[in-house]
Amino acid sequence: MTSGRLQKLNLFGGIITVVTLLCAIIWAFPIYWGIVSSLKPEDEVVRPYIELWPETLTFDHYWFALTETQIGRWYINSIVTALGVTVLTVSTSMFAGYAISQLRFPFRRTLYWLILASFMVPTQVLIINHFVLVANMGLLNSWAGIILPQLIHPVVIIVYKQFFDQVPKDFREAAAMDNASEFGTLFKVYMPMNWGVTTALAIVSFIWSWNAFLWPFLAVTKNEMMTITVGITQVSDAFGVYYARQLAAAVLAGFPVAFAYLLFQRRVTTAITLSAGIKG
Amino acid sequence: MADISLQNISKSFGAVEVISGLSLDVHSGEFVVFLGPSGSGKSTVLRMIAGLESIDSGTLLIDGKVSQDLAPGQRNVAMVFQNYALYPHMTVRENMAFGLKNIRLAPDEIKRRVEEAAHVLEISALLDRKPAQLSGGQRQRVAIGRAIVKEPAALLFDEPLSNLDAALRVRTRVELAELHQRMKSTMIYVTHDQTEAMTLGDRIVILNNCKIEQIGTPLEVYNTPATKFVASFIGSPAMNFLSGTTSQGKTGANFVTSDGLTLETNIALSNFGAFELGIRPEAIRISDTADGLPAHVRVVERLGDRTLVYAVLPDGTQIVAQDSGRSGVQTGDKVHLTFDPSQVVLFDAEGKAHHS
Repeated sequence: MTSGRLQKLNLFGGIITVVTLLCAIIWAFPIYWGIVSSLKPEDEVVRPYIELWPETLTFDHYWFALTETQIGRWYINSIVTALGVTVLTVSTSMFAGYAISQLRFPFRRTLYWLILASFMVPTQVLIINHFVLVANMGLLNSWAGIILPQLIHPVVIIVYKQFFDQVPKDFREAAAMDNASEFGTLFKVYMPMNWGVTTALAIVSFIWSWNAFLWPFLAVTKNEMMTITVGITQVSDAFGVYYARQLAAAVLAGFPVAFAYLLFQRRVTTAITLSAGIKG
Repeated sequence: MADISLQNISKSFGAVEVISGLSLDVHSGEFVVFLGPSGSGKSTVLRMIAGLESIDSGTLLIDGKVSQDLAPGQRNVAMVFQNYALYPHMTVRENMAFGLKNIRLAPDEIKRRVEEAAHVLEISALLDRKPAQLSGGQRQRVAIGRAIVKEPAALLFDEPLSNLDAALRVRTRVELAELHQRMKSTMIYVTHDQTEAMTLGDRIVILNNCKIEQIGTPLEVYNTPATKFVASFIGSPAMNFLSGTTSQGKTGANFVTSDGLTLETNIALSNFGAFELGIRPEAIRISDTADGLPAHVRVVERLGDRTLVYAVLPDGTQIVAQDSGRSGVQTGDKVHLTFDPSQVVLFDAEGKAHHS
C-alpha cells in the first residue's frame, strides 16, 4: 500500500471517529447535563448561561428526594410491578409460544394470526378500555391494576414461537419416547435449550415495565402506590418547578435500569435484535 | 424382548396413502432390517411402531398388547434416531437417565442401569460429558445407551449409521451385531444401505413404493429375489437383466435373446411370452471358446480379489461379469459369456420372479 493511500485511509478513519464522537456527545450531553444540574444549587440551575461544572457542589436535592418524598415506596412499587410483569409475561408467552409452535389443536393458526394482528393495535387505543376494566375490577391503585394491562406482549410470544420452531423435531420425539409429558418436554428439554432467549426477554420485559409511564400514571392516584416513573413527576408538582430536585429524582429513577443494562448489556442487545424484526 | 406384529396397517398423509395393508411379524429376539430406497415408507413404518406416526387402520401388537393407540413412551420400545437427538444441555448420564426418571424409577436402579449400559457400550469414562464434547461415534453409543437403559421390548433404529464416516460405520456395524448377540433383544433397523441390511439382519424386509416386496433372510433375498425390484436392489454390482422371450424347452423354459440366441434354463413356466432374464455377475463365466453370448469388453475393473468385466452384447445390453482376481481379460477383448443355469431367474411382465 502506498503512503498516499494510507494517508487517505487514515483521514477517512479520522473523520468517521470524529463524527461518531460528536454523535456520542450529542446523545450523552443531556444525561451529563441532568446529572450535573442535579448537583447544583437551584439558583445556579436557572442561570441564563451554560456552566458545564457546578460552582457549588451539593447533594441536597438527592437528600431531599430520598428523605422528603416517598421514593423508597416508589422503588418498591416499581420493583414489584416490573418483576410481576416480567415473570408473568415471560411465563405466559413461553406457554403460548410453545403451544403455537409445537402442539396441534383447532384454530391454532387463527390464534397465531390474532396475536400477530394485535401488533396493529397500539396500547394507547386500548387504554380507556383497560382503565374501565381495571376500575370495574376495583384494581385501581393496586399492584395488580398496574401489572395486568402490561402483560400483553405479543412480541415475546412470537420470539418464543420462532425459537421453538427452530428446535429440531427429533428432540421432541426423543422426549416422547422418553415418556416425558408436554410440561416435561417444555421445561426439561425446550426451555434449557433456550435459556439465552428467556433471560434476554426477561431483561427487556423488566426494562419496558420499569420505564412504563402512561398506564401506571392513569392507574394510580395515591402517592404511596406510584411507581418511580410516576412518582418523580410529583416532586415538581408538590413543590413547584424545582429543576434540580426533579433531575435528582430522575437520576435516582433511571439508576436501576442503567445498572441492569450495564450488567446485562450483551443479553439486552440480543433481545433487542431478536425483537427488532418483529416489533414495529 | 417381545414379538411385534403389524396386521393390515394403513397410513395416509392427506389424500396420499403411504402405507397400505401392511402385515408383518417380528419374532422375539430377532434383528429385522427394513430396507428400501428413499420414499419407500420404511421410516414411516418404524415411526408407526414407535408411536411417532399415527396408524390410520390395522392393529399393532407389541408383546401381545394392542398398542396402536398408546403414547410412544408407553409402548415399551426405544428408538435410536438418525441424528441421535441427544439433549445438548444434559450430560451423557442425564441423557441416559432422563427416560428412567420420567417413569419414576428408583434412583439406585437408574444409577445401576446407566452404569451397566455405559459399561457394555464402553462409555463409562464419558458419563459426565456433554454431547458437544463427544465424537460422532461416541454420540452414537450414547444414543444406543439411552435406548437400552429402558430395557425395552424392542429397539428401533432409524438409519443410525448414516452420519458416521465410512470406517466408523463399518466398526459400529460390527459392534451393533455384537450388541444384538449379547442382548438377544428384538431389534428393528431401518436403512437404505444393503450392506448394513445383509450383514446385520436375521431377516430383511424390502420395501418399495410403500409396499413390502419381499421378506426373507439375507441369503434368500439375494439368491431367490421375489421381484425384479428386489433383484436389482440387492447386490453390488447389481444383477444383469436381458430382454427376450420364452418358449418351452427340454428341461424347462428356453430364453431367446433379442439377438435370437437361445439360452436353456430349468425354470418351469406356465405361460410363455416376453420375459427378462436375470443373472448375477458372479454366475457368469467368461470363456475364450465360442460357447455362450458374444460380448465386447468395454471396461475392466481389477479389485484385487476379483475382477469386474463390463461388456456389451451385440444388441447393446451392458453386462457385468465377475472374474477371478488374476483374470487375463483386457479392455477391447471379444469374449463369450456363459451363464450358470441354476442361478438364472426369469421375470415376467409384472416383475415377478420365477426360479428353477
